[in-house]
Order: sequence, then C-alpha cells, then structure tokens
Amino acid sequence: MTRINVTVDGVRYSDEVEPRTLLVQYLREGLGKTGTVVGCDTSNCGACTVHLDGTSVKSCNVLAVQADGHEVTTIEGLATDGELHPVQRAFHETHALQCGYCTPGMIMQACDLLKENADPSEQEIREGLEGNLCRCTGYHNIVKAVQQAAKDLSSQAVGS
Amino acid sequence: MNTSTARARRDQDNNEGTGNARLRPGETSAVQGVNPRITAGIRYATDGGIPGEWHLRIIRSSVPAGRVTGFQTALLDDEIIFLTPDDVDAAGLPAFGCQIADQTVLTREPKFVGDAIAAVLAPTLAAARIAASLVEVSYERAPAVFDEMAAIAPDALLVHRSHATSESDSAYFDMRPQDGTNVCHRFRIRTAALQGRQEPNVITELDDSDTALADAFAQADVIIDEVFHTPAAAHVPMEPHATNAQWVEGRLEVVTGTQTPFNMRQDLAHIFGLAADDVRIVVPPMGGAFGAKTFIRTEAITALAARVSGRPVRCVLDRDEVFNEVTRHPSTVRIRLGAKADGTFVAKRIWAYVNTGAYADCGPGVAQKMGYAGVGPYRFEHVAVDSYCIYTNLPPGGAFRGYGAMQSVWASERAVDLLADRLGIDAVELRRQNLLREGDTFCTGEVMHDSHFEELLDDAASAVGWEKDGDRAGKGVAIMLKGMQTPSKAEARIQLLPDGRYEVQAGTADMGQGASEMLTRLAAEYLKCDVDQIVVCTPDTDRVPYDTRTTSSRSTHMMSRALADAAQDLLQHGTVGHGYVSNDGGLDPDTGQGVASSHWHQGSAAASLDVDEETGVITLRTLYASSYAGKVVNPHGADLQNEGSMILGLGSALFEELQFSDGQMTNPNLSDYNIASALDVVSISHKVMQIPGAEVHGLGETAVPPVPPAIGNAVASFGYHVTRLPMTPERVLAAAPSHEQASPPVGHIQGEEGA
Repeated sequence: MTRINVTVDGVRYSDEVEPRTLLVQYLREGLGKTGTVVGCDTSNCGACTVHLDGTSVKSCNVLAVQADGHEVTTIEGLATDGELHPVQRAFHETHALQCGYCTPGMIMQACDLLKENADPSEQEIREGLEGNLCRCTGYHNIVKAVQQAAKDLSSQAVGS
Repeated sequence: MNTSTARARRDQDNNEGTGNARLRPGETSAVQGVNPRITAGIRYATDGGIPGEWHLRIIRSSVPAGRVTGFQTALLDDEIIFLTPDDVDAAGLPAFGCQIADQTVLTREPKFVGDAIAAVLAPTLAAARIAASLVEVSYERAPAVFDEMAAIAPDALLVHRSHATSESDSAYFDMRPQDGTNVCHRFRIRTAALQGRQEPNVITELDDSDTALADAFAQADVIIDEVFHTPAAAHVPMEPHATNAQWVEGRLEVVTGTQTPFNMRQDLAHIFGLAADDVRIVVPPMGGAFGAKTFIRTEAITALAARVSGRPVRCVLDRDEVFNEVTRHPSTVRIRLGAKADGTFVAKRIWAYVNTGAYADCGPGVAQKMGYAGVGPYRFEHVAVDSYCIYTNLPPGGAFRGYGAMQSVWASERAVDLLADRLGIDAVELRRQNLLREGDTFCTGEVMHDSHFEELLDDAASAVGWEKDGDRAGKGVAIMLKGMQTPSKAEARIQLLPDGRYEVQAGTADMGQGASEMLTRLAAEYLKCDVDQIVVCTPDTDRVPYDTRTTSSRSTHMMSRALADAAQDLLQHGTVGHGYVSNDGGLDPDTGQGVASSHWHQGSAAASLDVDEETGVITLRTLYASSYAGKVVNPHGADLQNEGSMILGLGSALFEELQFSDGQMTNPNLSDYNIASALDVVSISHKVMQIPGAEVHGLGETAVPPVPPAIGNAVASFGYHVTRLPMTPERVLAAAPSHEQASPPVGHIQGEEGA
C-alpha cells in the first residue's frame, strides 16, 4: 500500500492505496465520487475524464499514486455554491445530452478545450471532443453547447 | 484535513439505511430545475444499489462449443464464494429464455466463447477480478458452427437438442421451431393466392428456385434477385450492464438497468420458483441501452449469488463482456423483386436467414419483424417471405435499435434501386409509383392508416437536391416502415401527493430516450398544471402498474394514452387515477396474415456523397433522415432521438462490424470497434415530421434502417454495387465497376491536380 495525499473537488484526502489502483477506482470506490463514470476500460470513450491540476485526463488511464500531491477536479466539483459552471449551464440550455453517462467526461473535456482555445471553430470543437464518445445524441447539440459556453465565458471575462 | 480512510468511508456508506432506503436508485439534482445528469446527480445501476454489496465476476467459456470437465480452484482465498452449474442444479433452477427456454443460469455445456460457466463472489471488485483469474477451467471441445447458412444446412450439427417455447409474456406469438434443425422459429408471409401450397419446412439453399411465387414472377418483365449481408454489431450503451440483487425475507430485490422490468420480474420468478409479487425490480436511469438491456442478462446469476451467499451482490460487466453479452443479428437476406416494364411492382420474395447465436433471446421476434419490414411500404399483389431464426455458436443476438428492420431494409431498398436502373425509371419515381397510401392493404392483410410515405420520400429527395430524371451521381434515397410491438399493454397511475404535487407511476424505463421528461410533460398537459407539480416515480415493480416493456419505440405512443386515461380518471374521481391501454393484433406465423403493427413507424433517408476511386473512401456531403412523428411531445428530445438513430445507421453503414475468429470476437473494445465520434457526423441533418392533430408516434428507431441503403444507393450511383455492410473502403473497391465504366472523364485526374 502507498499513502497518497490528494485534493479532490477542494477537499484534501490522505489514503492508503494499492499502487495499481487507477485514479477512477480511487475516486469511485475510495471516495464514493460516482459522478465520474467508467465506460470502456481502454481509455477510448472519455466518460471518466477529470481534471488533474486543471488539465483534462482520462482517469482510467492515470494511477491514483500519480495524483499524489496534486489537485483533481471532477464533475461533482464543477458547480460552485449551487451555481452551474458555464459549460454545465450551456449543456443544460442546449439539450446536449440524453442518457447523461458521457456527459461528465464531455463537460470536463469541453472545459479543458475552452481553456486552451477560448474561441474554437466548429471543427476545432469536434476535434477536441473526438476522444469522448456519445452513443445517444448526434453530437450536434454538444457542439452547440461548447459554442455557447465559449460565448458565455468570453463575455464573463470581458465583464470581470 | 479529512483524515478518514477510504475503507472507513466505504464501511460507513455500507451501513447506512434500512428498509426501502437500502435501495438507492434514481436521481437528485444538485441544482434546482436542472437535469441531474449534468451535475452527476444520477445514480446508475453501475454505481451500486444496495449498501454492503459483494462483487461478482463471471467466468466465461473460452471454447465456442463443448463441455466443461472441471474447475481448478486451489488458489482461491477462503472468503471467495465460487459458483458453478452444480449450484444451479442444487437450487433446482429451470431453463429460461424470453421466447425459447434455452438458457441456464450457468452452463456446463457452453455454446459460445463468453458463455457464463461459473462465477466468483468477493468483498471487493479487485479481489473478485483476481479470483476469477485464478480459476482454471478444463474443457472437452466440440465442433461448432458460426455462419447462418452453414447452420441451416441439412447436415449441420445442432447447437440445441430441443427448442421448447418459453412461457414468458415475451413469447407473444406462436413459435414455429423446426425439430431436428437449428431453426428455432420460422416465420412466413403468404399472400392470399399462395396459401395452402405444399412447401419444404426449411429452405436450406440460398439459390432456392422459388416455387412459391413462380407464377407471379412469370408476369414480371424485369426481375431483380440479389443477396445482401449484414454483420453482427454492438449496441455500445456507454453504461455497461449492471445489476444489484439481495434477498430480504425470501423476497428477491433487484436494482438493474433493464428496459423490461415486468418481463424481468416474471422471468426471475420463474427461475427462482417465486410468485411474481415476491420479486421486486427497480430500474434506475440507464446510461443508454439501444436494446442491449432487455430480458435476463446479468440478473439471474447475480440473484443466485445473492441467495447462495446471503449477501447483497453487485455485478457490473467490463466493456469486452458488454460486447459479448448480446449483439445485433448477423443476417443474410435474399430479395427477389419483379415489376412490369412500366414500373408496377408485381411480386416480392424474401428469404431472411437470421443468425441468433447460441441462444434465441428475442431472435424469433426479430426474424419476424425482419421478414415483413423487408417487404417495405409498397403495394404488391403477391408476397412470399421465409424468415428463419437460426442457432449458431456466436454470442446471442437480441433486440437492437431497428429490431431486424435494418437488415432487411438494407437489402430491399438496395434492390429497389437495382430495379430502377434496370427499368430506366427514376428511383424516387419508381418508389412513388408503388408506395402504400392511406387505405391500401399491406402484405399482411392489414389496411394502412395514417400513412405518410409519399411526404417522407419527397422530403428526403429534396434534401439532397434530387431532380426527376436528373443527374443523380452520388445521391441515394431509401424509405421504410417498421412495426411496433403488437399486441402489448400499458398501464399508468397518477397519485395526488399530500403536498399537492402529482406522482406519475409508470413502468417505462428511462435509458436516455427521455421517458421521464415525456411523462412529466404529458402529465402536466393532461392535468393542466405546471411541470414543477409533476414527480415521476422510478420504475419499481412494487410501485408502478404493468407495462409490456420499453422497446420497439412504443412507450411514448402507448404510455401517453394510458397517462391521458389516468389523468382523466384522477380529475373525475379524486386522488388516484388509473389508465390502461392495449393494442391488439399479431400475425399468423405460417401465413403472416393479421395485424403486424397497430401503428407504423415511417421514415426515409437520403445521402449525397463522394467516393474516392483510388481508396474507396466514402465522404458524406449530406446525410438526411425524415421521420414521421405525428404529434411531438418533446421537440428537443425528438431531435436527439432522430439524430442518435442516424449515427447508429451511419456506423452500421460505414464502419461498425463485430469480427470473429473461430467464434471468438476479435474486436470487443472501442479501439478496434469504432463508433461515430463528433468528427464523423458533420453532414447529418434531419426532420421530425409533424401533422397537427395527429396521434403521438414512436420515434426511437425510425431513422436507423433507411440510412445504410440510402448511403448504399448513393455509392451504387457511381457503379459500386456493395452488398455487404459495412461499406468499408476495401468493400467499395472490391465492388468497383468494370474499368471502362469506372474511367473518369479525360482530364479529370490532371484537373484535380491542377486545381
């Protein structure tokens, strides 16, 4: 067992983990944070995407020990004080989901995409989300959500 | 700093709650008025339903046929509970199956690679995984058969010795198993003049000379006769199958992702020798299903493990297991289509060979629907269909969005274009000339009502700029009809709560298609109240009244009317309202006469595309689908359903194919089995066709079947006659027209380079 100290959604945790424990297993089984889901086991679907020090990672592809000393944000930590994150709000307003299983990963990836490129083209959005699979929708509303979130975030930035 | 350990937190989590609180499915929104899926407020079946659960891993056969001769378990820790077919025998559990009783909870005679032969139960998932890897299995291998045409051959080895029809509600039509063969159901259509003739029980050869319709085809000026193939495909719900089970004072409680809660209750009651009331099925929202979460999947083994261990048990499949759990039926479909020189359709003959794999599941129903959907929305005086549901040693085929229609519509709509080419008639005009219109009679004898095929055809054609007798290079259209589960029943209850809100109690499962929102919107409309006053109860067989199941795009159509009845009842009689509707009908399996569907799903598609003649790569410019919806309940949801159907059709058309080597699936992961990503679907657009005052129509699958043939017809406009899905670059190139036809206009290549 190895001790890790990790901050998840703003709360600091200190836990003994087996070195082979995946970050997603630690989040779900260790911390009970089931908002981050597992879709494929092979890092293809992106459903388990979280932020590690602000950058998106597929948490099935990261060991819990690699998060030692780092900060993890999951979908559960995105809304603050009952206020949706602009990307969450955009997913809500543009009806960018059906079953919702891919949604946490999709939203976390979209946040990262917009951090790197505040004004992405449609093609850039589609490329940025290529590693996140959705089997329900036709992706169109997901692209619209990211476009709307880009606008909202840039007007927020101008306003602040 | 939070100093609690993960284990301590888990134990605390496990010990909370008693009684009904032990089951924790459902959804809560962290932000008022917001879909809880956005804030991770959903608790899926994969997240666990019962505190204190142990974890189950299934041990699966590595041989496609044979017998298990022994298990080596010396390396297992003492705390591991190991389950084998002996436990099934000791518990006296009978065979089961939704349409044919051909499955056992664990088998010592595996019939496909992946068949469940044993299981391990451990306190953690990690321990269960290790334990499963430590069990060694020895087998006696037996010969196997994988191809549907090989399995129907007269000398084929038999996958099952007998084909006992299930007593389940889901065996809703008469089965016609053919003893001494691998055919567990044969479905036929014979229009009036063809009935009562002597014919072979099973037609085993694809080049059958067609005695049934010889006279009718003699009247045709042109006959198209072609064989088309569709491979196995995967549903890929993003959430894997997951089941949680516990026994409470002799009663079985199951929290599971299923589209069929009442069939599940009945089938588990049958397996465990219980009254239906002693089984409780609770269905949390699912992370997608597409047909994969129908009938018994992981539920029976999880319930057995819970009974043997006396503990609550969770079973969540890995993605490779999801791939092998149930597939779309590989199918070989031969179409013979005859017409007069003026384009009038004369006769149609269909032979459909439906590979249901190791277990029938609902394959008989799929074979039936594949049979009549292949006739298409056209007038014919003479139709003969033979559809066979055939056992092989592949993983079982089951319900899959489109339910057999995709396989036969792919074949039949490609055949219509071949006919148009031969006749020299515009492909849209040829269809228009023969379409079923209001009051026309379908091959089953039923009279068509609420028919909108012509508008759908025109809409699709115009979406790709189709001009009558114009240049159609790169353009293709297709049209289809698909039936809805007939007969079936739906009940709904609405209860006025003490706080003045109304609770809707209905068995419709929410798998992402928007059931909960549909029920909310309709209840508010019927009760003339705000949507905030409506609460929708999680489907729970202890709390909601009977519903046949959440399949075949029936729920919005059926449950909307049950709910309207319930609302009216409540408004008239006080605090509780009950509603009930049924649709009646069914087909004679020997003649195909009767009522196939009380309500028709009607859809068209069109494609405009380029084919790279060097590489065979298809590039879509436009992919369009038009689906008849009658009255739309939830416009955003309807759009999403239609687009989602289209991308499933797109994947089937271009890249989705499960591959096997000696019966073993070789691409059961999302690296080697690709589904559409955001980059693959730029070209798609669609229409949900509404008619004021029309009834609510189902919409969940309509846009799947017409997409592959629309693309195939567009590809064929360049001379590439592809008969096998998916239309990979290799298959397109292999279907290239002869060199003379394929030669581009002089200067074409140079022109491209110079551009």
